[in-house]
Parts: sequence; C-alpha cells; structure tokens
Amino acid sequence: MQHTRVTGTTFMGDANARSANKPAGQPIYPILMPFPIAYFAGALVTDLVYWQTAAVMWETFSDWLITAGLIMAGFAAIAFVIDFVGGKQIRTLAWPYAAGYVLAVLLSLVNAFAHSRDGYTAVVPTGLTLSGLVVVILLFTSWVSSALKSRRHVGVGI
Amino acid sequence: MMRVLKIAHSPKLPRLALLLVATAGLGLAGCNYDGGDPRKEIGANPPLPALQQYLIPPIQIAKVVAWGKETPAVPEGLQVHALATGFEHPRSLYVLPNGDVLVVESNGPKAPISRPKDIVTSWVTWLAGAKAEGGNRITLLRGANGDGTPELRTVFLDHLNSPFGVALVGNDLYVANTDAIVRYPYQEGQTSISAPGTKLTDLPGGPIDHHWTKALLASPDGSKLYVGVGSNSNITENGIGAEYERAAVWEVDRASGAHRIFASGIRNPTGLAWEPETRKLWAVANERDEIGPDLVPDYLTSVQDGAFYGWPYSYYGQHLDPRVEPQRPDLVAKAIAPDYALSSHVAPLGVAMYTGTDLPANYRSGAFVGEHGSWDRTPLNGYKVVFVPFSGGKPSGPAQDVVTGFLDANNQARGRPVGLAVDRSGGLLIADDLGDTVWRVSSNNPRSASTN
Repeated sequence: MQHTRVTGTTFMGDANARSANKPAGQPIYPILMPFPIAYFAGALVTDLVYWQTAAVMWETFSDWLITAGLIMAGFAAIAFVIDFVGGKQIRTLAWPYAAGYVLAVLLSLVNAFAHSRDGYTAVVPTGLTLSGLVVVILLFTSWVSSALKSRRHVGVGI
Repeated sequence: MMRVLKIAHSPKLPRLALLLVATAGLGLAGCNYDGGDPRKEIGANPPLPALQQYLIPPIQIAKVVAWGKETPAVPEGLQVHALATGFEHPRSLYVLPNGDVLVVESNGPKAPISRPKDIVTSWVTWLAGAKAEGGNRITLLRGANGDGTPELRTVFLDHLNSPFGVALVGNDLYVANTDAIVRYPYQEGQTSISAPGTKLTDLPGGPIDHHWTKALLASPDGSKLYVGVGSNSNITENGIGAEYERAAVWEVDRASGAHRIFASGIRNPTGLAWEPETRKLWAVANERDEIGPDLVPDYLTSVQDGAFYGWPYSYYGQHLDPRVEPQRPDLVAKAIAPDYALSSHVAPLGVAMYTGTDLPANYRSGAFVGEHGSWDRTPLNGYKVVFVPFSGGKPSGPAQDVVTGFLDANNQARGRPVGLAVDRSGGLLIADDLGDTVWRVSSNNPRSASTN
C-alpha cells in the first residue's frame, strides 16, 4: 500500500495516515466493472453449449455466471456511489458505454429470471437470446465509445 | 436486431433501454397469474388451458398460524377432534390389525443447492412452514378409538431415514425409507421395535432426492409390495439421468427384493390404495408446476400394469411439455390420461379408500384424499380433505369437501393435511404436518360411534 502514495497527487500534501485511507483518490468501480462483462460473456458460451447438448450442467453454469455477474454489477454500483460521494476522480465514461453497460445489466436481470425456469426452455430460446443480446450490446457500445473517443482525440490533436 | 443496432447509433440509447425494460415488464404482466375456478378442474377430462411460461412464476404462500383452540371443520353428521398432538412433522399413518395407530414423523433430506433458484425455493419452503425437522421415527398410539387421548403413546421405531410408507405382511413390518425398504420383525401387540431391520431393496434416494416420499402398499396376497417413487425434479431440470426408475410405481417381490416398473410417467405418486370393489391399484399423484395456475391438475387414477402416464414428456395423455429436451414422441404416443383430476396444485399426499362403516352412508364407497395445499397459484387450492364417491370401482361424481378449516378466514394456514388412514372402528385419521397433530373424523351419531 505504500506504493500507492506515489501516484496520489491530489493528497500529496496530507498526512501519511490520510493518504493510506484514501489510496491516491483512485476510484474503485473501474476495477469491478469488467467482472460482469466476463461473466455474461461466459454465460453466452455455456448457453450455446447447452443449446447444442441439452446437458443440464451447462445450464447450471449459465445460472451461476449470470448471478455472479449481477452480484458484481451490484458491487460496482455500490463502489461507484461511494467513489462519487467520496469525491474520487470519476473519469468520464463515454456515454454509449455507460448506457450499454446499464442496459446489459438490466437485461441480465431479466435473463436470470428466464434462466430460473425449469428445463430446456430456461435457455432455448429466451435465455440464449437474452445472453446473446447482452454481449452484442456490450461489444457494440464499447466499439462506439472507442470510436467516439479516438475521433475526439484526432480532432483535438489537429 | 438490425433495428436495435440502428437505434443505437442515435443519441437515444437510454430511451431504448427504457423501452426494452418496459417490454420485459409487459411480458410479465401479459402472463396470467390468477387461476380460474379450481372446481372446474375436478373429474375426468378437465379443461386444460394453454401452457404459459413465466419469468417469475406465480407464488402464493399461506402464512402459518397456530391452531390454538380451533379445529378443522366438518359437515353435518361428522365430528372431528385432535387424537394426539406434539408430533414432529407427521406425514403418514398406518393402522395395525390390533387397532394401534402408527404415526410416521418425517421430512425430506436437506435439498442440495445446485442452482441460484434453489436458494429462493428453500426460502419459500421455509416461509410455508414446510422446513420443519422431521422426527425420522414412528410413534405408536393405542386405545384411541373413542374420543379423547390415547392410553398409550410410545416411540415404535426410531432413527429412520425420511420414512413415509408402512406395510405389514404377517409378522413382517416394512418401512419405506427414502432410500430403501427395510423389514422389521413384528409381533401383534408390540409397542416398540428394537430389532435391527433387514434391507429388502434399495430405492432411489439422494443426493438430490427431490420428491422423497415413498408410498408403500402390500398386495392382498402379500407376495408383492407396491412403491410410489416420485420424480427427482419438477420437469427434468436435474437431467434425465437423475430420473432413472423414478416417476413410477414399482412392484417389489417380497421374497427376493427384486423389482420391476409396474407403471411409469407418474410424476409423484404419493399415495397408493386398493379399490375394494374391483381390487385394482389406485394412486394419487402430483403433477408438474410453473406452467400456469390451472396446469397441470393433480390426479387420482387407477394404475394400469405397464402403462405410461406421460411425465416428463407430456401431461394428461399427449399434451406436450416443451421444457423437456430431447423429446420422445415414441413415448408420448403411448401416454395415457389419468382417470380423475383433483384440480391444479392441490398437492394430494394421502389417499384412503373407505371400507369402514362408522361414517354416514354417503361416505361408504369412495376415496378420501388429503390435499396438502398449493403454493404456486392464486387463489390457494387444496388445504382440505375431500371425498371422491366411487361406484362400480370408478369415481362417480364431483369431489366433496369433507374436512376444511385448515386455512382460516384470512387464508392463513393452521394446518396442512397429508397422510390418511381409516382406523379399526371406521374413523378417518388425518396427519397434519403443519399443526403437528393427528385428527380423527368420526360420525357424530353416538350409537354409531360406540360400536367399537
């Protein structure tokens, strides 16, 4: 934890104890945000396998992956609020990415209920469609965001 | 899909999010949550509405309250009193030839958590008061024929493994634990058994053991035992491999312990009985959940040798259930419909063909059915004991409510009826696993009641 002080420019003038409490003003939510994306993408894979094999083990994987993604999204949301209230440096998220992220989490909540059905129709077709939609939204909005960012960057540069 | 992508280009994405969430909400609201009149689903050929699949299936749990000084209600001509109370989850009853009553105190083994849904289900079960620890024992009651408390109450058999069915053949007493049939030596008049049991055969038990009760019935000649073995899931969500030899009525050879599948495709045959006129095997069974408040009606049926009753592939004959993959059209083509619908989600857990003479004449031919009560439909259904009149060995009219009042005026559950038995003097005994009581229903005509 000592190393974090090096990057903590905001609180350089404060006492050591305080800078240990607030590690360099870095927000925590960006650490948590990728977890749901990885879990939801995993759920799409296990859904696809279940669609093809009808072996319930894969549906069970999907259930837990979506649930874990939602739990991590919950933690990310809590962290975001704490970071925001605590006045941490909130890097401005590209709005398409932020909106896509929130939409993906909400759809995954619906997807968790679809997956709670018993039998094959927990996945085929509703669960699988939702899992696919979530991944498409995440991919597309992050692509749009990076395109926006690079265009802005180019514009500023010139 | 293309449309979604196109809209995503515009700065209206948050609006799209709103739209999608609203659509999902509509999807929920569009489903039918309220059941129709449950009485319409009684008898042969019940109406079967279109199947629905939910994101959040309907759940209505009756809040649990104590009986206090209340008792169940019975119609004119009958009376009811508590035979004994203070049991640990009494589930089934058996009357020995000398009139002693065996009370099987039992509950299922701890259900494993394999999906996130199991956590919710476990919580729902707990709210309904169905999580109470079972005694895993059998208590004997003696001298309880008249009104009042039994003269003797002893622990007859202890340290069992989720027992349910009991059958006596000669001096051999069989107990169907959830994972095996065990034989004990029994002499008439014995009030407790300390001898170790001998296993006759294994039964499908854990580790999942979704439907754990094993109903047991001896053939009239004593050579065979019939066992009701429930499915290991609602609708194969634990995999078809977990259903091996389940959802079936077994015929076990008493001498060798060998078994064959007598009838299959019966999701959860919880009670077995001989119809006295035709000497045919009958069963009550619990059908599948989560496809609507009015699907699928639980039933009372004769059990035909070699017949397939549909589960999991179809219900009420050949109505396909899309939740099962791979499907089996070859089996569906063989599926036959049960004889008599008891209405959806009533959860029949006990059946007794009435052969006694104590109750008034209108109850002398037919089946009493203990309906544990619904948790997944509105309005609540079951929570009572009904009588299905029989004539010529077949149901001959609508089921009549006989013992009610398990729900109070506010739809709170004071008790839930399970196993039934007819005692030696013709009274109807009811195990109540929520009120931890055994109730006795008898004729309120004193002359008739004193014939014991």
